[in-house]
Amino acid sequence: MKQQTTKSKIIYAIIILVIILGAVAVYLKGFNFELQYQQNKMMEIYIGKEFNIADVRQITNEVFGEEQVLLQTVEMFKDRVAITAADITEEQKASIVEKMNEKYGLELEADSVTIENIPHTRLRDILKPYVLPLIIATVVTLIYIAIRYYKLGVIKTIFKTGIIAVLAQLFIFSLMAITGFPIGRFTIPIMLFVYVLSMLYATTKLEKDLESKQAQTEETQEV
Amino acid sequence: MKKLQLVTKILAVVLISAIAFVGVYVQEQNRMENKVKDYQLGMNVEGARVITLTVNEGTEEIIKDPDGNIVTEEEKQEGVDYTTEEVPINEEEALTTDNYKKTKQIIEERLKRLGVNDYIIKQDEPTGKIIIEIPEDSQADHIVSNISQVGKFEIVDSKTKEVLMDNSDIKLSNVLYNQTQDGTTVYLNIEFNDAGTEKLKNISTEYATKEETNTTTNETQAEEATNETTDETTEETSEENTEEEQKEVALQIDGTQMVTTSFDDVMENGSIQLSMGQATTDRDKLNDEIKNASTVSTVLDTGNLPVEYQVYGNEYIESDITTSMLIKLAMAGGLVLLLGFIVLTIKYKKLGFLASISFIGMAALYVLLIRYTNVIITLEGIVAIALIAILNYIFNYKLLAEIKKAEQDEFENSVKESFKKFFIKIIPICILSIVFCFVSWTPISSFGMAMFWGIALMILYNAIITKNFLKS
Repeated sequence: MKQQTTKSKIIYAIIILVIILGAVAVYLKGFNFELQYQQNKMMEIYIGKEFNIADVRQITNEVFGEEQVLLQTVEMFKDRVAITAADITEEQKASIVEKMNEKYGLELEADSVTIENIPHTRLRDILKPYVLPLIIATVVTLIYIAIRYYKLGVIKTIFKTGIIAVLAQLFIFSLMAITGFPIGRFTIPIMLFVYVLSMLYATTKLEKDLESKQAQTEETQEV
Repeated sequence: MKKLQLVTKILAVVLISAIAFVGVYVQEQNRMENKVKDYQLGMNVEGARVITLTVNEGTEEIIKDPDGNIVTEEEKQEGVDYTTEEVPINEEEALTTDNYKKTKQIIEERLKRLGVNDYIIKQDEPTGKIIIEIPEDSQADHIVSNISQVGKFEIVDSKTKEVLMDNSDIKLSNVLYNQTQDGTTVYLNIEFNDAGTEKLKNISTEYATKEETNTTTNETQAEEATNETTDETTEETSEENTEEEQKEVALQIDGTQMVTTSFDDVMENGSIQLSMGQATTDRDKLNDEIKNASTVSTVLDTGNLPVEYQVYGNEYIESDITTSMLIKLAMAGGLVLLLGFIVLTIKYKKLGFLASISFIGMAALYVLLIRYTNVIITLEGIVAIALIAILNYIFNYKLLAEIKKAEQDEFENSVKESFKKFFIKIIPICILSIVFCFVSWTPISSFGMAMFWGIALMILYNAIITKNFLKS
C-alpha cells in the first residue's frame, strides 16, 4: 500500500514537472501551430492531368528546403495542385513554376500564378463548438460520480475526478508545448482521447477506493 | 462436436471479417463493385469546398433624372435628360474593420441557420477577405450562391420608390405551409417588431385596395367615354384618377422585386405572408421552394451585410490526409492489436486465443455498423474507434483474468462480475458519448456516434459472442 502511494506520488510529481516545463515553454516560445492554422500563403498550379503528389513534393522540397509545405489536390479532376507555405516569395514562385513546366511539359508564366494570403484560423473558433457539450457531459458525470461514490465523500470525489481530468489535459498540452507538436486538426481528437482515458482512470481509482472502504467497514463490523 | 462448433464459430468470424475488411464484390458492367456500403468521410478527412469572399470594390452605374432622383432603365421616359454616374458599390466609409467583423459574424450565423454542421471561417481583418470551408455535399452550391447575399429588405412605394420599411422593422421570419386540394403552398412569413407593426398598419391603411366597384365604375366610365368618343382628354383624366387612387407597395430583397401589392385589409397583426410559388404536389418542386424560402428567411433574420462581398474563389480542395494515409493508420492499429493478441495468447493460452478471434469478429461488426448507421468519419471519429478498440481490449483482458482466477463452475459468475465492474467504470464515457450524439456539429457527433455504437456493440457482442467463444 505504502509502495503504491510512493509510486503515485512519483507519477504526480512527474506530471506536475512536465506541466511546469510546458508552461515555461509556452511562455518562452508559445505553441507551434499547424500550417493550416497559421497565416500563410497559397498558390495554385493547373497541371491539366492527374499527377503524383510525391513528384510535386520533390519540387517543393528543392525550393523550400526544410520549410513546412502543404500540398493538396484541387477539384474533382485532381489536375490542379495547391501549394501552401508560411511564406512564398516571388523567387520561390518563379522557381516552382519553372520546375513544374519542366516536369509536366507545361508553358506556365510565373506572372499568371497568383499568391493568395490565407488568414489564420483562430483556436477559439475551433474550440467553441466543444465547450457546451463538454460542460454538460462533465456536469452530468460529476453528478453521477457524486451519487455513486458518496460514501467516499461527495466533495472529495468530485475534486479528485476534476483534478485528474484537468491534470491530464494540462499534461498533454504541456507535452505539445515542450515537443513542439503542432496545435491544429489533431489537437481536439487528442484532447478527447485523453479526456476519455482520464475518466476511465478516475473511475477505476474511485472503484478501488470504494472497494477498500467497503472492506474496511465490513472488517469493523466483524470486530 | 465441441470442436466442430468452435471451427464453425471461427469460420463465421472469418466470413464477417472478409465482408467488413475486404468487401463483397459483384461485377457491374465492366468493373467490380463493392456492394458493402462505403464510409462517409467528414470534412477534415475528405476535403472541403473552399469559398473565398472578397469585398466588392467594383462600381455600378446609376441613372439620375434632372432632379437628381435615381431611376431605373425601365422608368426612363423619352425627352428627358438623364445623367449616368459611376459610383462604388461599397461606400468608402463602410469599409471598416468593424463592418468586416460584423459581416463575418452574420455569415457565420447564416451558415448555422442553413444547417451547415461543420465549417471553418477565417478572416483577414485588414482587407476583410473571408475564407469559408464547408463540406462538399449537395448543399454546397446552394450555400455558395446565397451566403454573400446582402439581405437588404425593403418595402417601397412602387411609384416613388420611397422606402417605407426595412430590415430594422423585422422581428423574425420563418417558413409556413398551407395544404389545399391543389397541393401545398409555401409561404415566407415575416413578423415585424413593434415599430414595424405600427408602420405596417399605417401602410396597409394608406395602400388599401380600392373597392372593386369603384374601379369598375371608373373603368366603365372611361370605356363609355371612349366608345362615345366625346372627349379624349376626359378618358385620360379618368385613367389617371384611377391610377392615383390605387397606390401599391413593392416588397424587395437586395433590390429584386418579390411582389407588388395593395392591402385588402388593415394589417394589424404585424406579419405578412408571401407565397413562394403556386400550390404544388411535386415533391422536388416543393423541396426547392422550401429551401428557397428558408434561405430568404435566414438572410432576413441574420440582418443585412454592412459590406457587399463577391465570391472570388469557389473550389473543392482535398484534405492532405489521403486514403493511403488512412489505410496505413488502420494497418498500424491492426499491428498494435496483433501484438495485443499475442500477449493475450501467451498469458491466457487457449482462452487468450479465442478472445482474440472474438475481438476480430467484433472489430469487423463494428466497422460494418459504422457504415450502415451513417456515422460520418472525422478525425474525432477515428479517435473514438481507437478508444473502442482500447476499451474492448481492456475488457477482454480483465474478463480473462477474472475467469482464470475463478473456479471451473464459477464461469458465469466471473463473467457477470467482469461485466459489472467494467461497465460501471465506463459510465462517464457513456455519458460523454450520449451528450455528443445529440450535438449537430459533425466532428462532435462523429465522436459521439462512433463511441455510442461501439459501446452498445461491445456490451451485446461480449455478452453473447465472446462469452460463447470462451465457454467452448
